[in-house]
Amino acid sequence: MHFFSQAFDYEHPWSHVVIGMWHKYPNPKCSHVISIDVVDRSVDPKTGIIRTERVLGCKQKTPTWIVKLFGGSEDAFVREISFVDPATQNATITSVNLSLSQFATCYERIQYSPLSTSRTQFSQTAEIQARMTLWRTASDGLEKWLVQRFEQNAHLGKLGFTDVLRTLWEERQMQRAHS
Amino acid sequence: MAHSLSPECTPLKLEYDACFNAWFEGYLEPAVAASASTAQREAYSHRKAAEFQEKCGKVWESYRLCVQKAVKDKGLEALLQQARDENPLTEAPPPPSTAGKSSS
Repeated sequence: MHFFSQAFDYEHPWSHVVIGMWHKYPNPKCSHVISIDVVDRSVDPKTGIIRTERVLGCKQKTPTWIVKLFGGSEDAFVREISFVDPATQNATITSVNLSLSQFATCYERIQYSPLSTSRTQFSQTAEIQARMTLWRTASDGLEKWLVQRFEQNAHLGKLGFTDVLRTLWEERQMQRAHS
Repeated sequence: MAHSLSPECTPLKLEYDACFNAWFEGYLEPAVAASASTAQREAYSHRKAAEFQEKCGKVWESYRLCVQKAVKDKGLEALLQQARDENPLTEAPPPPSTAGKSSS
């Protein structure tokens, strides 16, 4: 089992970050995400909580030994569930891999919550675990590769989303100034 | 906005995403403000949920049918079902326990 966690702040109000969430991809810094589909969505008529289930398609170079041993391919799919709760001003995103899931799971949780009227805290944790009693060297190797890939993507995700938020809200401010 | 996993669903996906985003951007900030009281929140949520269905319900139905078929064609149906069975996530999970960077 491997753990990963990080936290940092975005210099944007919570509502701007949560609106921006739906504009994160496609993103030149996160070119590994190639498709996104909503497979289920509900707006709770009592609580106002929005639940969204999406399937993300990713393309990423996989080490040959992993492809050979586990029969993976370059295409990997992820299930992602998000909850946006306006009452508590919480947005949580949970993701788990669909591809290679019979061998290992990467379970990621993200939360966006307001720190002040103009700042939003991002926190992220991930647990990466080989599922079966694989031959130990192979399962260690698989976990390590997944961790490396996760860390790399987490870093690029931060850079990419920072750009998206800046562009999105600068553009809109310009539009307002001109109208 | 990113493509659909099947090119034939992409036009419907883009239309649906645009519909949702337009609705969501009008929804979010008043929803935070309406959370001051339970009665207010329920009235607002009720009205906006109906509005979302009215505005985006039709394109969602077409997009959903398309993407369901695409999920099946890509061989993802069983994997998705397994993930749903293992962790339905019908309610929001507790927040991650990293309140800021720990010093350890």
